[in-house]
Amino acid sequence: MPGVAIKDLARHYGGVAAVDGLSLDVKPGELVALLGPSGCGKTTTLRLVAGFLKPESGEIWVGDRCLSSPSAVVPPERRRMAMIFQSYALWPHMTVAQNVAYGLRFKRGLPRAEREKKVGEILRVVQLAGYEARYPGELSGGQQQRVAVARALVVEPEILLLDEPLSNLDANLREEMRFEIRRLHEEFAITTLYVTHDQGEAMVISDRIAVLERGRVAQIGTADELFHQPRTRFVAEFIGKTNLVDGMAVKPDAIAHGPLTFRVASDTLVPGAHVALSIRPHHIELVAPNAPKEDGVNILQGSIERASFLGETVDYQVAVKDSDLVVRVAAPAVARLRPGGLVGLRIPRAACVVLAEG
Amino acid sequence: MSVSTHRRASGATLRGRLEGVDRSLPVWVATALAIVALMALPLAWLGYMSVGAEQGTTFGHYREVFRDEALRKALWHTLVLAFWTGLVSVALGAPLAWLTARTNVPGKKLIRALVMASFVTPPFLGAFAWVMLAGPNAGLLNRMWRDLTGATDPLLDIFTMSGLVFVVTMYTFPYVYIMLANTLALIASDLEDAAAIHGAGRLGVALTITLPLVAPAIVSGFILAVLQALALFGSPAILALPAGFHTITTQVWSFFHFPPKVEQAAAVSIPLLLATALLLLMQKRLLGRRGYATVGGKGGQRRTIALGIWRYPALAAVFVVMAGSIFLPYAVLAKAAFARAWAQPLTWSNVTLANFTFTLFEYSSTKAAILNTVELGLATATMGAGLAALLSYVTNRRLVVGHQLVAFLALAPVVIPGVVLAVALFIAYTRPPFVLYGTLAILFVAYLTKEMPVGYAQSDATFRSIPPDLEEAGRILGAGRLRVLRDVTAPLARSGIIAAWCFIFIGVIRELSASIILFTPNTRVMSVVIFDLKEEGQFGAIAVLGLAMLAMTFATVSVVQAALGRDVLGVKE
Ligand SMILES: Nc1ncnc2c1ncn2[C@@H]1O[C@H](COP(=O)(O)OP(=O)(O)O)[C@@H](O)[C@H]1O
Ligand SMILES: [Mg+2]
Repeated sequence: MPGVAIKDLARHYGGVAAVDGLSLDVKPGELVALLGPSGCGKTTTLRLVAGFLKPESGEIWVGDRCLSSPSAVVPPERRRMAMIFQSYALWPHMTVAQNVAYGLRFKRGLPRAEREKKVGEILRVVQLAGYEARYPGELSGGQQQRVAVARALVVEPEILLLDEPLSNLDANLREEMRFEIRRLHEEFAITTLYVTHDQGEAMVISDRIAVLERGRVAQIGTADELFHQPRTRFVAEFIGKTNLVDGMAVKPDAIAHGPLTFRVASDTLVPGAHVALSIRPHHIELVAPNAPKEDGVNILQGSIERASFLGETVDYQVAVKDSDLVVRVAAPAVARLRPGGLVGLRIPRAACVVLAEG
Repeated sequence: MSVSTHRRASGATLRGRLEGVDRSLPVWVATALAIVALMALPLAWLGYMSVGAEQGTTFGHYREVFRDEALRKALWHTLVLAFWTGLVSVALGAPLAWLTARTNVPGKKLIRALVMASFVTPPFLGAFAWVMLAGPNAGLLNRMWRDLTGATDPLLDIFTMSGLVFVVTMYTFPYVYIMLANTLALIASDLEDAAAIHGAGRLGVALTITLPLVAPAIVSGFILAVLQALALFGSPAILALPAGFHTITTQVWSFFHFPPKVEQAAAVSIPLLLATALLLLMQKRLLGRRGYATVGGKGGQRRTIALGIWRYPALAAVFVVMAGSIFLPYAVLAKAAFARAWAQPLTWSNVTLANFTFTLFEYSSTKAAILNTVELGLATATMGAGLAALLSYVTNRRLVVGHQLVAFLALAPVVIPGVVLAVALFIAYTRPPFVLYGTLAILFVAYLTKEMPVGYAQSDATFRSIPPDLEEAGRILGAGRLRVLRDVTAPLARSGIIAAWCFIFIGVIRELSASIILFTPNTRVMSVVIFDLKEEGQFGAIAVLGLAMLAMTFATVSVVQAALGRDVLGVKE
């Protein structure tokens, strides 16, 4: 089972760079999600990997095979990959069984009986046994999705590519299929690239997430790493909600924002440098006004501007005293505070993550 | 270590290069080159010939042509014919479209079928029929009139400009109808209701909402009708020549009477070509700017306007129009086909099948013409549908550099009137490197060129409706491009391509304006023979050939309807 190595890939459309110096390593058997907003180049990347597009620069390697480079692209049919499309791309003129069996036609030396057996098996895996003779038009969205999955898995590809496969399903089904896809990945352990713009989906399904920004990888890591140690403003904002605070380093472990000073989760800052902090809303605790100072904890004063009840938590917007900052705080819904009230904000030093990019 | 990685990398790249060869590329390149050759050769010759002199270039031919009094007259007659045809076509086509799209007029299906019949009837057949109906001496309607009133003067004279406009319009108004009916079908009544809620009266709504929305469609229908009249050869040749006047197309044709004056023909052709191109450009602009997109509301309800007591009078009015284009002409053709003497009443002694046996089995020139037409129709439709399918596949999937040029060339013949095309092909293929004149091949090339836009537009729409995902899904699972074409694309495109085949076939069997210049005694086709038989006064044979042509046309039309699941008029172009 080979991995995928993407090196410095680039591809333009007109004058616009869709993929712009993208590098990524996917380990054998790993599932990496390509996560990013619409238009950041996810689909283009996947189509480059699939061999539908030729890169302008960079290379794509699978194991020890160089599949794409500006001088040569191995055509899709010889890349030993499978792909699941956003539209599913099921052939409307073929039955479920014919759709699923199609890729097996190109496996030389596979007897017909063996082929049928494999189709039957995989349809059982995706819980579609008994639907062999249906046409795609006679299936629900979720069932079509399963056919697409079966069609891709039955050929036992070296690499599996998925382009927003769940985006056409309704919310409940989407939730269910996330776990289903993760389960299938654990069962078959195929090296997989999974494109999505939904961070929740990426977090549930993938081993690692590559956050894409304007055609490059902004950061790659596990969901945990991205959430707790975002390196850029973009990543911090894209993975979950956050508060961003701009400031200037005044000590190796502190920054100033106007009259406010924040102790941060770093002690290597260069005084005088511009830095930005990311503080997750649920890392901020609401305490009584004028709470006592503690070591390694930032205490700020503020007044509540708005409180939105969200069920398990309450989303507060708090205007920080002596500053232009308005911070979001996610607090448990046990005690409800009213807008206009004065509060203290307790922010542990470890919650103030310094972003690499200013 | 670094050396070995390096070696491995270059080895893999070489292998990649070999694996990377796209074996289908020659097919696409050949397709693109075919269309370039098909279009470029004759047009280049045409332009060259119009300015060619013994030495260097000259505008002498243009000067000669436009100083010629006769030609200036022909030009004027063409303009008059085209303008009035456009106007009357709107006057007939627009109300018809409104009636079927928006009112509760009875027999809508029948009306649509009749409009479709007018659309596919070869105009020169209509012209013949109207010669039999309204020729000043022998015309049946005039004889009835004389018998009834005892008058000595004819009631109608078809050999006049107004007669010509009338006959041409009878087969041209469907263009306006198609444009407008398709637009009206897209305007949801809620747009109109919105205006009504804001206080506009009935007339106000019509003037402020409906009319501006449909105006581009009406004007573009007008332009299509004008173009039709500009390019027409058969009807003017049948009706204007006996009346003693020429149009541009008949004038170009007369340049080919011995000795052929090819340079003049070329010099007349180029302005005609440019005028057509200009008009089509205008039409595109018109539709492009406020296209149907703004009009389109998919779920919108269309309210039906109740005509009340006017329902049946409206239907009667429709039938009057259809009498002019279908009922009377078809009846007189049928009568002539079955009568010993077409001008006599159809009594038992006058009924015969002799015309059929004569035309189909005995008369060698009609027999040969039918065979030639069928042969050319099958060959052109098959080759044309195939080439159009490949071309539109190439342009849709952007398989070669310059695919935009390919699309442009495939649609370019739309602006080339038949006689102009014939002049160009005549010049191009009477000299090396390709000498085709005198063979069926030159007609084949002419038809292929002329019908390419129809075939291309149809297959383009077909491939547009097949998402590329479906092909890519096959590719990634191991099928090469040609294999995917066979397993996925072809089955999905089949009915669209069958329709393209039929459209081309219909166009070929009725073609006259290019054929009349390119035929030689051994390569006559049905339309040409019909035209020639008129000189001999063989109306029975004309009628039989005409009916045969109509039968083939309607059979093909029904195949289209089966393939597309809708009628021919639904095409929006
Ligand atoms: N076929 C194309 N032609 C022109 N521009 C394209 C094409 N495909 C993608 N792009 C552009 O490239 C950028 C990246 O697109 P894409 O990879 O589809 O983004 P994503 O899948 O992340 O939404 C976008 O700006 C898009 O407009
Ligand atoms: Mg995308």
